[in-house]
Amino acid sequence: MDREEILRLLSEENPSRPTPVWRMVASQIVRDFKVWWTYKMWLTLDITGTMLFISTYYLVSHIISGQHIANAGYTTGGYFTFAVVGIAFQQYVFSSVMGINESIRDEQWMGTIETILSSATSFRTFLFGESIFFFIVGSSFLAGSLATGLALGAEFRLEPLTFISIMVLSMLLIASHMAVGILGAGIIMKTKQGNPLVWAFSWMTQLVSGVFYPLGLLPWYLEWVGKIFPLTYSLDAIRLCLQGGQTLASPMVLNDVASLLIFIAVALPLSLYIFKLGYDSARREGSLSQY
Amino acid sequence: MKVQDLIQVFKEEQARSRSDLRHIWAVFWANFKIFLSYRTWVITETLSTVTSIAMYSFMGLQVPPDRLVEAGYGNVNWLAFALVGIASTNYLWMCIGRLSHSMQHEIRDGTFETVISSPIRLRSYVIGMSIRGFLVSSYFMVGALLVGTLVCRAPLIINLETALSSILLFLMLIISHMGIGIVAAGIILVYKKGDPVAFLFSAFTEFFGGVLFPLKLLENYPVLNAVAWAMPYTYALEALRRVLLTGATVVSPEVFTNILILVGYTLVFMPLGLLAFKWGYNRVRNEGTTASY
Repeated sequence: MDREEILRLLSEENPSRPTPVWRMVASQIVRDFKVWWTYKMWLTLDITGTMLFISTYYLVSHIISGQHIANAGYTTGGYFTFAVVGIAFQQYVFSSVMGINESIRDEQWMGTIETILSSATSFRTFLFGESIFFFIVGSSFLAGSLATGLALGAEFRLEPLTFISIMVLSMLLIASHMAVGILGAGIIMKTKQGNPLVWAFSWMTQLVSGVFYPLGLLPWYLEWVGKIFPLTYSLDAIRLCLQGGQTLASPMVLNDVASLLIFIAVALPLSLYIFKLGYDSARREGSLSQY
Repeated sequence: MKVQDLIQVFKEEQARSRSDLRHIWAVFWANFKIFLSYRTWVITETLSTVTSIAMYSFMGLQVPPDRLVEAGYGNVNWLAFALVGIASTNYLWMCIGRLSHSMQHEIRDGTFETVISSPIRLRSYVIGMSIRGFLVSSYFMVGALLVGTLVCRAPLIINLETALSSILLFLMLIISHMGIGIVAAGIILVYKKGDPVAFLFSAFTEFFGGVLFPLKLLENYPVLNAVAWAMPYTYALEALRRVLLTGATVVSPEVFTNILILVGYTLVFMPLGLLAFKWGYNRVRNEGTTASY
């Protein structure tokens, strides 16, 4: 082939229209889904593991007294319902938020992150697409966990107003943890490690956010530590609705909503700023694809 | 340096150690040094262990004392009951999963081919890796028991007889499951994917072994109960609880029977595991895929 012809073809201007963001996000979700679907064995194991975990707490609930749960204002369903809500929503935020971090680490590990960032897709769009995908997966698991709980005898107060309140609270839960996910991504960009953050959110929330027991059982200092984590307010408000029949109009739920909004207002801009620092620093150093 | 001199240096015969013990030590020491370099991991895992025991102690405040009497364990505290379960299941998972996990890392990092091309025999490599896993897991298991008994005040019965009986039972627990760990390593050699056996272990043993609840509760579900008593872990945990919660020893009939059952499982699982591993090892060598991921 004529060399001049190749040069001409390569230097030809392609009349390209900018792709809308929604199409880029949709393509990314489809891509992630295809990759995720190839790991069918892991998917089966994940589902089995979640069902076994909930079944374990179904049996544990037979030896646990429901008195502390009722005293905390969660009057419907007893300990099993309390544990199902805790497990389902804790795993929901954990898999969603940490999924984004794991995804960035995997792209770094495989050496593909530089390719993605050199394409027409901006990093903001990439991060948004990843978040949406992991929240879709997380939401499916949340629905599956709650359905398993219902099948085993969990009881929820599902009146129309309660349902609307749960939807709003879930959105606040996602928004507050999105800040944590972005913060983690910023740290990974710079340090190539995100484990301490993963650790804090998996273990500390289990200890102090009331996943498996009401907060009243904690000593005062751990109860105060629990107030740092948005999951504490989210779980309390969701349980007050699902197990106490309250709605967004109830003062106790409103109090939790206000705390979540304050957390989002403070943490989201801060995490975006830290993410920008990490991202710009990695770009300056040319270490985006290093692991 | 002259080229000929250099070639001569490479050609020189090195006195190679054929001692298995030295090979095992070398593998163990090399990997132990790597483990020590992961300080963040060690710190976060240690804190996770402490946090999880603290979490179960708060959970235990919701269990009325008479609930375990009905299950046949006498008047024991739920935290003590759960502590034995959590410490043993984590110990087992770490010991069994460590070999396949390390092998997966070697394959992923592309160093497995180098290891098997070296004069180190594969059996020395497997044993050296297992010893490292065994020591690291023991650190976390002893830590969990110490935090549980000293900080959270879980009332375990610890004296010379029960301590020696527990050590023997922990050894039997690992030996009876080692075959399964070796099968997992063989699967990873061939399929290069994940670590399903280790994952299954953590999820299944926690449920079917009765880590957090007495197995008497499963008697209402005959199929689940049969699955639970088909697992070696159930026998090991039952014996450990008899020793640490009620003061029985290895010579007590109920504990001794469980030890015999664990010996039986070892005799079945170990040859099967070695066969599966040999199959996987020979297959990847024949296919030339030791370095592919």
